[in-house]
Amino acid sequence: MTEASIGQTGTALAGPLAGIRVLELADEKGQFCGKLMADLGADVVKIEPPGGQNTRSVGPFLDDVPHPERSLYFWHYNTSKRSVTLDLESSEGKGLFLRMVPTADVVLETYPPGYLPGLGLGHDDLARLNPGLITCSLTPFGQTGPWRDYQTSDIVHLAAGGQMASCGYDPEDVPDAPPIAPGGGNAWHIACHHAYIAIMAALHYRAMNGEGQLIDASVHESCALTTEGAVPTYIYTGKVVQRHTGRHAFPGQSSRTQRSTKDGRWVQITGGNPTPRRLRALAEWMDTYGLAQDLLDEKYHDLDTFRQSIGHFNDVIAEFLSHIDLEEAWQGGQQRGFPWGAIRTMEEIVGDPHLEDRNFFTDVDHQELGRNFTYPGPAAIYNGSPWSISRRAPLIGEHNQEIYCGELGLSRQELSLLAEARVI
Amino acid sequence: MALPGALAGIRVLDFTWVRAGPWATRMLGSLGAEIIKVEWPENLDMIRRGTATVPEGVEEGPNSAGLFADSNANKLGITLNIRSESGLDLVRDLIAVSDIVMENFSSRVMQRRGLGYEELRKLKPDIIYVSMAGFGHTGRHHSYTTMGPSAQALSGLTFLSGVPDAPPAGWGYSYLDDTGGMYGAMCALTALRHRTVTGQGQHVDLSQMTMGITLTGAAFLDRTVNGRESRREGYPPGNRTVWPGAPLENSYRGPAAVPHNAYRTRGGGHNDWCVIACFSDEEWEELVRVMGSPQWATDADLSGLPGRIRRQDDIDQNIEVWTQTLEKYELAAMCQDTGVRAMPVQSSQDRVENDPQLRERGMFMEFDHAVLGRREYQSVPFKLSKTSAEVRGPAPLIGQHTREVMEGLLGLSRQEVLDGYDDGTLWPADMPRHLYIEEALK
Repeated sequence: MTEASIGQTGTALAGPLAGIRVLELADEKGQFCGKLMADLGADVVKIEPPGGQNTRSVGPFLDDVPHPERSLYFWHYNTSKRSVTLDLESSEGKGLFLRMVPTADVVLETYPPGYLPGLGLGHDDLARLNPGLITCSLTPFGQTGPWRDYQTSDIVHLAAGGQMASCGYDPEDVPDAPPIAPGGGNAWHIACHHAYIAIMAALHYRAMNGEGQLIDASVHESCALTTEGAVPTYIYTGKVVQRHTGRHAFPGQSSRTQRSTKDGRWVQITGGNPTPRRLRALAEWMDTYGLAQDLLDEKYHDLDTFRQSIGHFNDVIAEFLSHIDLEEAWQGGQQRGFPWGAIRTMEEIVGDPHLEDRNFFTDVDHQELGRNFTYPGPAAIYNGSPWSISRRAPLIGEHNQEIYCGELGLSRQELSLLAEARVI
Repeated sequence: MALPGALAGIRVLDFTWVRAGPWATRMLGSLGAEIIKVEWPENLDMIRRGTATVPEGVEEGPNSAGLFADSNANKLGITLNIRSESGLDLVRDLIAVSDIVMENFSSRVMQRRGLGYEELRKLKPDIIYVSMAGFGHTGRHHSYTTMGPSAQALSGLTFLSGVPDAPPAGWGYSYLDDTGGMYGAMCALTALRHRTVTGQGQHVDLSQMTMGITLTGAAFLDRTVNGRESRREGYPPGNRTVWPGAPLENSYRGPAAVPHNAYRTRGGGHNDWCVIACFSDEEWEELVRVMGSPQWATDADLSGLPGRIRRQDDIDQNIEVWTQTLEKYELAAMCQDTGVRAMPVQSSQDRVENDPQLRERGMFMEFDHAVLGRREYQSVPFKLSKTSAEVRGPAPLIGQHTREVMEGLLGLSRQEVLDGYDDGTLWPADMPRHLYIEEALK
């Protein structure tokens, strides 16, 4: 398939989740799962408390002016969704929710364990109205266990889940450094990826067998499962990995793989699959700067010698990299078969021509502002059903009329009364 | 558990290797899909070759790496020379009876072997093909390759992590391999849903580097919408939400909060740390009470967030004087008892040995492995009420299920299988066979 034909078919087809309706009762823990489903074509109706979800108060804000309709954080995580407002604790609100349940395939909720069942809105209650319903309850620790009711946040999960134990600094770089939590929101991302998988598996089972079910998903377990070799290293060797700057945590010492370049940036040179041809090409490249030292010697292009001399290689490469700029460094390595990567910031990512080729950058219309903004788009190109943002995040209750009047048949007068009573 | 798997009846032909791809098919296997991992002993998965997780006293070999045993749980393992015509014929037969084909080679490998999407769909018109290349199959740099760390660097994830005026700390592991695996599974399941509804398969062209970009959160929009510079004072802010003295700009950790940090605890070991975060004045007051209301903390100046931001260094130092008197689990429990958000930094050992929650929820399950003995395997982080979701057994020994699959699934005769071993289709002709393979051929 050519790139052009992907673009053409992409505009004509529905997303792979078209026809699925999700009722999202989710805060920061679950909103990314809803976004993934919405961008892939599901009709995700975000049910917010009257006045809007508290995630709307998280910055950064458009032009640094705080306002619930200006949160870039909320925008990022709520694309392609619709929004209604609803007070689930009022009897009218509860009644409206129960009228929506029969239209839903999935309820995605992140309330504390027991909260929705306490309102008479647990999975069993909802399944009586809709036997095929899939309820995904995504909570910090799941519905059971001694830590079930513990209070958390993103960084608290990154601590308990093991991310922080692996991330940080060599003492030479930052003396006495604490474990460093990786970028914000990743505990929620990790959990949402797993919740998404669980929901899709349950949808498949329902398609085959007609039955809905309840998913009990745990942020903590998701994080604890996402630390690559740390747990197997302990289970099989009894050793605990130690933190190192910009490279794998490891039980002992290891060579640096994050190297600085002439322009004061960093390049990541972990791993790869060196071959004699690649090693020769690398040496010849370094030689064009007079920096190959002895690596042009044929003996270093033999893989056994290479493995024995890896420390020497690393030293020569580090010296070479310090004499060239980042862009040449990482692309030059890639062109010679090494999986090197620039440590990029958004300045270098936005406008990357390769990502342009993949139609990654997505222009999203904020019609109420009369402006368009560039969003991060699909991670994967589906050649038969596109993954693409269909609209900006909804305004607070933007679809109240569309859904309550258009779908549930309420009159405008009834809607006004519900708004006055703060039910919506 | 007697529950059926949600994906029972789904077959995945698995050409993946290293970490991201195998992690994807492992998850699909946990959900009940049948995973057939295709390998070749002369081009071994580098995780099978790795020695860092070979237990003491176990001889190095293709079945000795603990990381492989865990990463490739839930799979059948076959050996098949897909560079030979006879091997390729068998691969084609396997594709014709599979629902999903997954691979994470560099971008043109499958095409060069005559196994690109157009070929696959001739063999199975509704096949789902998920490719998991670093830069994807589409775009000018499709031939570039990544490992987890370089994908993290290129996606912007690495830069987000660290303290000001120091190199990036980045991620101390291949986050985008684990997460890349989850995207691979997500893509397969999403395309499966599309197939169920429309009857159509498709090629899903996933890119590891690309998937990381969205995981930088609001950093992307702060650039494209607000034009914020990434290289700025006080950023990235370590574990904090704002860096003392730097402009009050959001650092994408969520709402501004002080305290919000890791604090050293009693023992002073590498992982004797506890994270505490207070997201409101009430949560701060609660923490002050847990600390025993020391004089420094009851200062009215600290009762509001602006004061706490101004004096964040003082606060962090004083909290750490207190936390160092307590063991990390004890400290976290004291905080949690009154609703203060705190948890210990848990090492791998902590999670396996000291985490009562993971234990009670069944996140580790024991299985026997012919070479590695009885060991614990990581399970699945969610429970489904009507279908099973759990690790089902350790990785296959290399070639462990070749005969079973060739005869049981493709209907080869025993003689045809034996011929395949002799002519280099099912095992390298000049390579000694493991005892278990000889046993299986009897």
